[in-house]
Amino acid sequence: MAYRVGVDIGGTFADFCALDEATGAVRTLKVLSTPAEPGREVMQGIAELQRRFGIAPSDIGYFTHGTTVGINAVIQRKGVKLCMFATENFVDVLELARLKMPDPYHLLSRRPEPLVTRDRVFGIRERMLADGSVDLPLDHASLRDALDRARAVGAEGIVLSFLHAYRNPAHEKEAARLIGEWAPGLPVFPSSSVWPIIREYERTSTAVVHGYVQPRVAAYIASLQASLRKAGVTTEPMITKSNGGVMTAELGKTQCIQMLLSGTAAGTMGAAFVARHAKVPRVLALDVGGTSADVSVIVDGQPSYRSGEMVGEFPIYIPTVSVTSIGAGGGSIAAVDAFGTLAVGPESAGSTPGPACYGRGGMRPTLTDAFVVCGFMGHSELGYSAVTVDRAKAEAAMAPIAAALGRDLQSAAEAVIQVAISGMYREVSKLAAHQGVDLREFSLLAFGGGGPMTACLLARELGMASVLVPTTPGVLSALGGLVADVKNDFILTVYAPLSVETLPQLREGFGRLAREAEAWLRDRQGHRGTPRLAASADLRYHGQSFEIETSIDLAWIDTGDVARIAEAFHREHERIYGHADREARVDAVALRMIVIGESAKPALPTQDRRAGPAAADAWIDVLLDGQPRRVALHRRADLVHGMTFDGPCVIAQDDTTTIVPDGYAGSVDAFGNLHLTRGS
Amino acid sequence: MAIDPVTLQVLANHAQAAAEAMAFTLFRTAHSTFVKETEDFTSGLTTPEGMTFASPRDLGATWFIGLDYGNAIRMIQDYRPGDVCITNDPYSGYVCTHTPDLHIWKPIFWGDEIVAFAVGHIHNTDVGGAVPASLSRQLTEVHQEGIRIPPSKIYEEGRLNKTLLDVMLTNVRMPEQNWGDFKAQLASVATGERKVHEMIRRFGVDTFRQGIQDLLDLGDRRARAVLGKIPDGDYHFVDYLDEDGPGGVPVRLELTLRIRGEECVLDFTGSDPQLHSSLNVPTGGAERHILLMVGYTYSLYTIDETIPLNGGITRPARCIIPEGSVLNPKFPAAVGMRSLTCGRLQSLIIGAFQAAMPQAMPAGPGSSAGIMNVKTIDAKTGRRIMASINPMTGGAGGSSFGDGADGSGANSSFLKNTPVEVNEAEVPIRFRRYGLVPDSGGAGKARGGLATELEFQLFSPNSVVTARNRDRTRFSTWGAMGGDPGATSSFWRNPDSNHAEDLGNTDVVNLDPGDIIRIKAAGGAGWGPAWERDPALVMRDVSEGKVSVAAAARDYGVVVRDGALDAAASESARAQLAAAAASRAPAHFRFNPARDAYEREWTDASYAALAAVLAMLPVHWRHFVKRRIFDRVAAMPAAERRADGGHVRAIFAEAIASFPELRHIRPAAE
Repeated sequence: MAYRVGVDIGGTFADFCALDEATGAVRTLKVLSTPAEPGREVMQGIAELQRRFGIAPSDIGYFTHGTTVGINAVIQRKGVKLCMFATENFVDVLELARLKMPDPYHLLSRRPEPLVTRDRVFGIRERMLADGSVDLPLDHASLRDALDRARAVGAEGIVLSFLHAYRNPAHEKEAARLIGEWAPGLPVFPSSSVWPIIREYERTSTAVVHGYVQPRVAAYIASLQASLRKAGVTTEPMITKSNGGVMTAELGKTQCIQMLLSGTAAGTMGAAFVARHAKVPRVLALDVGGTSADVSVIVDGQPSYRSGEMVGEFPIYIPTVSVTSIGAGGGSIAAVDAFGTLAVGPESAGSTPGPACYGRGGMRPTLTDAFVVCGFMGHSELGYSAVTVDRAKAEAAMAPIAAALGRDLQSAAEAVIQVAISGMYREVSKLAAHQGVDLREFSLLAFGGGGPMTACLLARELGMASVLVPTTPGVLSALGGLVADVKNDFILTVYAPLSVETLPQLREGFGRLAREAEAWLRDRQGHRGTPRLAASADLRYHGQSFEIETSIDLAWIDTGDVARIAEAFHREHERIYGHADREARVDAVALRMIVIGESAKPALPTQDRRAGPAAADAWIDVLLDGQPRRVALHRRADLVHGMTFDGPCVIAQDDTTTIVPDGYAGSVDAFGNLHLTRGS
Repeated sequence: MAIDPVTLQVLANHAQAAAEAMAFTLFRTAHSTFVKETEDFTSGLTTPEGMTFASPRDLGATWFIGLDYGNAIRMIQDYRPGDVCITNDPYSGYVCTHTPDLHIWKPIFWGDEIVAFAVGHIHNTDVGGAVPASLSRQLTEVHQEGIRIPPSKIYEEGRLNKTLLDVMLTNVRMPEQNWGDFKAQLASVATGERKVHEMIRRFGVDTFRQGIQDLLDLGDRRARAVLGKIPDGDYHFVDYLDEDGPGGVPVRLELTLRIRGEECVLDFTGSDPQLHSSLNVPTGGAERHILLMVGYTYSLYTIDETIPLNGGITRPARCIIPEGSVLNPKFPAAVGMRSLTCGRLQSLIIGAFQAAMPQAMPAGPGSSAGIMNVKTIDAKTGRRIMASINPMTGGAGGSSFGDGADGSGANSSFLKNTPVEVNEAEVPIRFRRYGLVPDSGGAGKARGGLATELEFQLFSPNSVVTARNRDRTRFSTWGAMGGDPGATSSFWRNPDSNHAEDLGNTDVVNLDPGDIIRIKAAGGAGWGPAWERDPALVMRDVSEGKVSVAAAARDYGVVVRDGALDAAASESARAQLAAAAASRAPAHFRFNPARDAYEREWTDASYAALAAVLAMLPVHWRHFVKRRIFDRVAAMPAAERRADGGHVRAIFAEAIASFPELRHIRPAAE
C-alpha cells in the first residue's frame, strides 16, 4: 500500500500521476482517452503503471479520479430526458433565463435551447412568498396531473423549481415525497436541495444540469468502482470536485453537480501545489491544451473561487475554482481571409484530427504546426510515444498561409504564433482587468502540452517578469487531484439586514451549517480527522444587485460583533471595487460554510544540488523573433537543481517543449521546476 | 503607408484589450447600481481626430460603435498632458445625446504630440432638472432636463477644477453617486492612457499612429464589401411611433436606403418635424451621427458577423436628415427620451435592410416595451421604496435562418431582467405571472419570437408605476417576405375585472392598494408565408404551448386533433391560406390592421403633402400646425380625404390664413 494514484481524463489523453509515499517520487503516464468507452482508459493506465513502473493495483492505497463524463453529456446533449415542475404562471424560467443574448450586436442571436423544453415543463399550483410563508398550499391534484403527463412523455427525472424554495423548501420537499410515493424509482431533483440560492433562474439552471447528468454519472461511477475492484484496486476511489476538493465515489453518485468542472479545478490545484513548493506567491496559471487555454489566478497558494461557471452552454452556481477558458490552443486553426487578415482560432482541429504534424488526418494549419515549422518542436517524443511530429506535414499545411500572406513558410508560421499570442494577450488582460490584478506582480505558471511553448512569449507581452515550468507540466490535473483535500460547501439563504437584531438568525444559521458540514464529513465521507470549518457570508450594500463573499471569523458571531463583520465587508468591497461606504446599510443574502478534511500531503522529493551552467544536448535551427537562430536544445531530464541556462534555447521533454527567448535567464529549483526570469 | 497586416492584427488585439480593460475598470469601480444593472456606459479609444477605433465587446452599451468625439474635442483649445474634459450637453457638438450621459475624454500624449484620446460615458441616474431621473416624455425644452455642461476641462494638467465640479454636483439629486461614478470614469480613461503607452512602447509610435488609422481603413473596406453584396437600388421603408407625446398622434419615421456599389445613403427625408416632447433625436444633421448608425451597424454585423466593430464601418454610409425634423431637432428641443425613438429608428433601418437583403435580415423586432419602475411604501417598515423591477422585451423577428428568439433578442438583446425572487424580496409587490405570451409571435415560415408578460399586484396607497419607453400598442411589428406581423403590446390596470383600465402607452400610473398591473410586450414578426412552415415545427410549437391549437389552424393551416396532426385537413387548410394570399396584392411587408387603417387615412401622398407644406414654416411652428392638420383630418369624413393629399394642402392654407404671423407664406396653388 505504497502508492497514491491520480487520474485525470481529458479530450486527448488520460493523465496518470503516481506518487510513491515512501520516497515522494512521482511517476507519470499518458494513455489515449477512450470517450466512446469511458473507463476503459483507466483500466489501460492501471495495467500500464504495473508494466512500466511495477506498481501493482494492490499497491494503490489512495486513488483520485477526475472525469469528463458529466460535462460531455451536457455538451453533446446526451443526458436523460427531464421534466420540470415549476410554480404555476412562472414556467418560463429556463426559456427566459436572464434575457440577455450571447451576442447583443447580432439581430439573430439566440440563447441555447434549454435542456428541458417547454413541452416538458408543467405548472404546479403552489406559492411560497419571499419571507417563507405559504401563500397557496401545494395542490396535490395539480402535482398528480403533472406527474401523469410527465410519465406520458417518458420522463426519466423530475426537476422541481418552486419560487422562494431557497427560503422555505417545504413545498419542494412535499412534492418530492409525493412523487416518490406515486412513482417509486423516478429521480427527483428539488432545486432547494441541489443548491439553495435566491434567484430562480440560477438555482433552476444548476438543478437542471445536475439532474440531466446525474443518472449518467452515477452509472459511470458504479462501473468504474466495479472495474477497479476487478483489477484488484481495493481502496475506495475518490472523485475530484469543481471546488478543488475530493469526495468519495459513492457520494459522487448523488452529488455529481459537484464534479462537472473538476478537470480545470484540479489543474489549478496542482498548479497551486507547485507554486507553494516553488515559493512563488502570486501566480497566473496557464494550461494550454488542444482546443483551449485555461487561466486562473493563484495568490499565496490559494486559487480564487466563483459561481456561475459555464458547463457547455449553461451556467451552474455552485462554488467552483475560478478558471477562465480562452479559445486558443495548440489545435487552433490559422486562416487568412479575403482581406489579408490572419486569424488563429477559435476553430480548432481538437484532438481529432489534431494538428497536421501529428499525421492523424489533420490537413489544416494549427498553432502547433507553426511551432513545428519554426523549428521548435519535433526534437523529442511527444505524449509518451502516443504521437510523433511530422515536420513535412506541418509545412504542407502552412503553405497556403504563406502564399496568402506573401511570406516564406517560416515567417508565415511566426505570424501565426504572433497573432495567436496577441489573442491570448487580449483575453488574459481582460481577465486581469476584471479581477483587478496587476499582472506585472505575477509569475506565469505554464502547463499542459502547449503552456510552456507559449509561456515566455505571452509573459513578455503581459509585462510579467518570470515564468515557472513545473517538472510534470503534462499531468498537473492528475497531481492536483492527488493532493486535494476532502471538501464540501454549504449555503443558507437568509436575506436579512446585517444588524444586532438579526444576529440571532445569523448565529442560528451558521450553527445549522456547521452541524450539517461536520455530519457530512463524518457520516458521508467517513473522515476521522478534525474537520476544518471556514465560514463566510454573501454581503452587499442595500440596493446593490451583487454580493461579495466575505470571510467571517465564527468568533465574531459568538461574541455578537456585527461591526467586525461589516468592517470585513467594507474592506473586501474596497479591495475589489476601490471604494467602500461605511455609512451604508449592509445586507446578508446568504451564509456559507466550507468543511475541509485534510488529506495527508505528499512531500515532493528534493534533488541534489549540481550548480553550474547546463550543457546543450544539441543545437537546433529555429526562427525566433524574426531571426533565424541556432539555439541550444536541452533535455529536461538533464536540467537539475542548481543549474542555470540562458535564452535563447529550447527545452524538450516527453510531454511538452519550453521555448526560452533572448533575455531570459533560467534556473532549476530543488524540486526540478524551471524558473525563467527576464532581465529588465 | 499601411502597416504590415500581421502587425495590424496583433495591434488590433492589443487595442481591443485596452478598450475591454477600460470597460472592466469602469464597471468594477462604478458606485451606482444603475451602471452595474443596465451597463449603460461605454469606454473606448479614438484617433487624435476623435473617431473611435476600439470599443469593448464584453461589457457596456451596444449603441456606440464608431462614436465620433471630433466636435467635442475641437471645442477645447490647447490640450495639455493631465487634462480631462467632459460634457453632457446634447447641443454642444452632438457627441452627448441626452443630459444623463456624462461623456469624458482625455488626451493621450506621447512626447508633445496627442496620439489618441481615451473616451467614454456613463448614464447618470439623475442630473437634476424638472423630474427625478431627469427624463420625461412631457418635457419640451432641454433646459428642463437638468444641468448642462458644455465641453470643459474638469482637470487641467492634473488639477481638478473644483468650481466646475461643485456647480455640477450642486445641481443634481444624488451628488455622491454621480461623483462616485465619475471617479470610475476617471479610472477608466487612466487605464486607457496606460494601455496606449504600453502599446506605443511595444509597437513604436509610428506603427501605432498609422496602425489605428489602418484599423479604421480595414473596417471601412470590410463594410464596403458587405454593402457590395447588396443589390443596387432604393429601398424605402416607413415605421411609426404610436404617439408623439401623451395622447398624441403617430410619429412617422421614413427612410430611403440607397445602395450604390459599395456605398449607401440613408435618406430620412419624410420623417416628421421635431416634436413638442422629449422624443427628439439630436443628431445635428451629421452624416454619420452615432444614433443614426446603430441600426446600420446591427444590420451589417448581422449580414457578416466577421466585420470589425469600429468607426471605420460607418464610412461608406452617409445620412440625409432635414433640419427641424424629429431626427434633427433644433435647439432647445427636449431630447431626454430619445431612446424610445431610437428603438424605432433601429427597426426602421432594419426594415430597409430587410427589403434589400430579405434572406439575410430578420423581420420586425418586438424591441423594448418599457422599463418598469415601482414607487411604493413597505407596509411593515413604512419605508418608501423605489425600484426598477424589469425591462419588458418582445421577441426577435423570424428570418431565413429560423425562428426569432423568444422573450427578447434583436435590438433589445442587451437588456437583462431582475429575478422575480429578488424583486419580491426587496419590493413589497406580488408577482402573479412572468413568462412568454402564447400566440404573440407573428406567424411565418419562420415564427416571430414571443413577447414577455408581467403581472403584479401592489398593496400600498399612493403607489406609482412608471413604464419608460412604452410603444407598439397600436402599430405592431412588421412581417417580411409574406410573414405576419407580431402581436401588439398592451398595458392594463386591473385586467379581467369590472374596473379594468386600458393604459395603452401611458408611462406613469398612480395606483390604489390591491391594484393589479399587467403589461405585455410586442411579439416579433414572422418571416415567409406561414403555410409554408414545416408542420412538424408547428406541432412542436403547439406541444410547447407557444402556439395555440386555434392559431395553428387559423394562421398556419395546421389542424391538430387530439394532440396529433391531421395531415389531410392540414393540406387543404394550407392550400386555402395560400390561395387567399395569392388573391391579395403582393407585398414584401405585412402590417397589422391598425397600421393599414392608419395608412388609408394618412397615405404616402398625404404625408408627402404634409411634409411639403410644413417645410414652408419656421421650425417652431411645424409641430403646432401639424397637430392642427391632424385634428382636422381626423374630424373629416373619409370621403372628403383625397388620395393625392389635396385635403392636407387645403387645411394648411386655412391654417396659415388664421395666423397673422404666417400670412406671408404663399403655398403653391392647387
